[in-house]
Amino acid sequence: MMSFLLYSLRARRRCGLVLAVLICIVAHSYARSRNGQDLASATSGSAPLGQIQARQELFSARCGVCHGRDAAGGSALGPNLLASALVAESGKERSQTAQAASQSANSRSYPPDQIQAGRTLFAAQCSFCHGRDAGGGESGPDLMASALVEQDVHGEKIGEVVRNGRLGKGMPAFDHVDEQQLAALVAFIYDRKVKAKEGRRRTVDVSDLQTGNAEAGMRYFNGAGGCAKCHSPSGDLAGIAGKLQGLELLKRMLYRENGRAAESSPGDGRLAEPSKAIPTATVTLPSGETVTGKLAYRDEFTIALTDPSGWYRSWPVTRVKFTVMNPLDAHIEQLAKYTDEDMHNVLAYLQTLR
Amino acid sequence: MKLVREIFPLAAVLVLASAFCGRASAQGIDPATLLKPTSDSWPMYHGDYSGQRHSHLSQITPANVHELTLAWAFQTGQTTQIKSSPIVAGGILYVSIPDHVWAVDARTGSRVWHYNYPPNEGSHIGNRGVALYKDSVYFATPDNHVVCLNARDGTVRWNVVLADVKEGYWSSVAPLIVRDHVLVGLSGDFDNLPGMLKSLDAETGQVQWTFYSTPSPGTPGSPSGGATGGNMWITGTYDPESNVVFEGTGNPTPVLAAQLRPGDNPWTCSIVALNPDTGKFIWGFQPSPHDTHDWDAVEVPVLVDGAFNGSPRKMLLQASRNGYFFVLDRTNGKSLLTTTFAAVNWSSGVDKDGRPIRNAAKDPARDGRLVSPDEGGATNYRSPSFDARTGLLVVSSRDAYGIYFSKPEHGTVGWGGADYEVFGKAVLRAIDYQTGKIRWNHDLGGGGAAAGVLTTDSGLIFTGDSVRSVMALRTSDGATLWHSAIGHVGNSPITYELDGRQYVIVASDGALFAWALPEKSVEQTRFGSHK
Repeated sequence: MMSFLLYSLRARRRCGLVLAVLICIVAHSYARSRNGQDLASATSGSAPLGQIQARQELFSARCGVCHGRDAAGGSALGPNLLASALVAESGKERSQTAQAASQSANSRSYPPDQIQAGRTLFAAQCSFCHGRDAGGGESGPDLMASALVEQDVHGEKIGEVVRNGRLGKGMPAFDHVDEQQLAALVAFIYDRKVKAKEGRRRTVDVSDLQTGNAEAGMRYFNGAGGCAKCHSPSGDLAGIAGKLQGLELLKRMLYRENGRAAESSPGDGRLAEPSKAIPTATVTLPSGETVTGKLAYRDEFTIALTDPSGWYRSWPVTRVKFTVMNPLDAHIEQLAKYTDEDMHNVLAYLQTLR
Repeated sequence: MKLVREIFPLAAVLVLASAFCGRASAQGIDPATLLKPTSDSWPMYHGDYSGQRHSHLSQITPANVHELTLAWAFQTGQTTQIKSSPIVAGGILYVSIPDHVWAVDARTGSRVWHYNYPPNEGSHIGNRGVALYKDSVYFATPDNHVVCLNARDGTVRWNVVLADVKEGYWSSVAPLIVRDHVLVGLSGDFDNLPGMLKSLDAETGQVQWTFYSTPSPGTPGSPSGGATGGNMWITGTYDPESNVVFEGTGNPTPVLAAQLRPGDNPWTCSIVALNPDTGKFIWGFQPSPHDTHDWDAVEVPVLVDGAFNGSPRKMLLQASRNGYFFVLDRTNGKSLLTTTFAAVNWSSGVDKDGRPIRNAAKDPARDGRLVSPDEGGATNYRSPSFDARTGLLVVSSRDAYGIYFSKPEHGTVGWGGADYEVFGKAVLRAIDYQTGKIRWNHDLGGGGAAAGVLTTDSGLIFTGDSVRSVMALRTSDGATLWHSAIGHVGNSPITYELDGRQYVIVASDGALFAWALPEKSVEQTRFGSHK
């Protein structure tokens, strides 16, 4: 069996190599799993069934036309990947890694190779914002103190944020990160979490934010700050201190990124309070008709809203008259007025609203 | 028959080779032309040595700019955002992102060659562009190598290492060519490392000199007060008449934890004047003495010769990340004017030397300080442009607030604190350099930084908003005359003219877009007067 495969390999190696380089990693991972099924003697580890199914769908959608839906070679363009030297070689190493990773996911220890691969990728793509040690850097938080990282088990939550980004929070989407790279990143982050020295972490703790005077904060809230014009401790802010703590509460208090009607907030359900911070637009059409709805898009040239029936509608700004009411305008103005003392006092007051 | 088969390819190679050699002298770049760039080129990062990013081309005008059409687009096929300024010479355009350089036909956008550097662990945060000297392309890699490529085909001539990526340095700069010197500054502020600018021999890659903006950690009697950092990660400018290079330097390290680096920490957050032949320090000016907010002063030091208070002056202009606009006498580094151009709440005025006075109460603290600008700054790497006709420095700016934290537990290595953006509003601002007054503001429609700026002699500005459009504005009043929603523009625009047609190039995500007047309009512009 093996000698037959090696023989056919040689014949196909040339075009196999060229094409195999062109296809995506998914092809490899699916083909490897196929390879694993066909050649039990060559590969001892295999991916979980769900992963294989997902890969199978992706493979048949993207690669099946040339390589056949079962990776055994399709049209004249695509070689049999099961017989590819490239796949066999990478399958050998990686199936061992995959096995080790899946075995150890619960105990959260990872093979040194995978951690090293994650470290390299993290240094290249993530370190600028999160620090080389994942302990926080230029505008990016300490990942070891992240609730999301804490809740993550196999990278599914981290993966969602990495691939989709967090719009409005400065996290770009890295949609080209493949499964293997993601696994390596997760391995590196957990490894850091275990080994992190306190001295290199850039965490803001709830206990750091207890310097304000709640009474003074209440006075500011009801007086000079003007907060009471829109907010009420028994209304929208009732129990706020139970929902948000520390830095999250402080950031939300100062300003919250405008939502838009059509935008979801991936991976952030915990903080979702839909519709409260979305500006309202009123557009007057040339006919005199007015449409009011949640602002859906705005730039210098176009205004769009989601109308009361849920439809997105847009107009060139030159054709209509419009007004936009942004409930956060007062927060923006307040940023220039706050003293640091006011800020800490109001935070202390909000922390009493349990 | 066999003979023909063997000889023919050889003959073809010879014919091709001789054709190639014949063209070689016309392509690439003669270093002398860097002193006076031709209109068919954009031969270096800023377009010329002054850093003005201004073009004398005037085919595209306020009257016809609404006709602009897409001449071509070039897709890199990569998701990485293009932050670089392309370099153009001999009809070839060179564009880069971390680990990649492409040579592209500047007339059509078709690919000539692609160079792919191997995967590495240097920070891939951005690449600002390549440099061109004779027939060589110089490319700084994320892991601090400088690779010299044959401009004809992208093959490697040499590859030298400037610093150890394991120590925490990385590289993103577009090198600056001064005669046979290739000046390359390093990046990296997550570790306590001295800031370095190196000069390489353009032919061999040998290091000619190194300028350290700060000494190595632990240097006795350190003039920087124990600070490291001050990396020079944006391309400097050059005054050929006095043979002086001007470089902006980065923030000190530790970045937010400043207690262990008392004093002003020269020459971090500074503008320094250097001799390009020796690397010798001539003078320095500090926009942010003892910086505690990561507001490096690497923003382009723009060289302007003109009137100031009625007298002719050789000046240097900088709109700095800390929110201040500076005019210096570049012959001695003395301040002529200091004023703010964006929201600022961290200073208590300006000292007698024109330097902002830091208010220590706004230093990062355990319980947080609300500071303006935020860490991204009032402006950043995207280039401003100076238009001599109106006397305006046009800057992509932000009014922004952030919260800054630091406590002993954060340590004293690298960042040494934490900071978070709270709110930002992007505004294009035209600063009258003689008064520092804002002539006009143009709302860019979002909170994030927008694009770099290009001005032209016809009275046009090319830039991007912070939503998703490339735009042309009227320089005199900032009015929008044209736009196209291609996506967020991530680089600083350039322009050149080939075959009598002016092209304006901008990047959005992983694609380059070349704008020009329709061919028909080009004909009318050129021959309209003969009708």
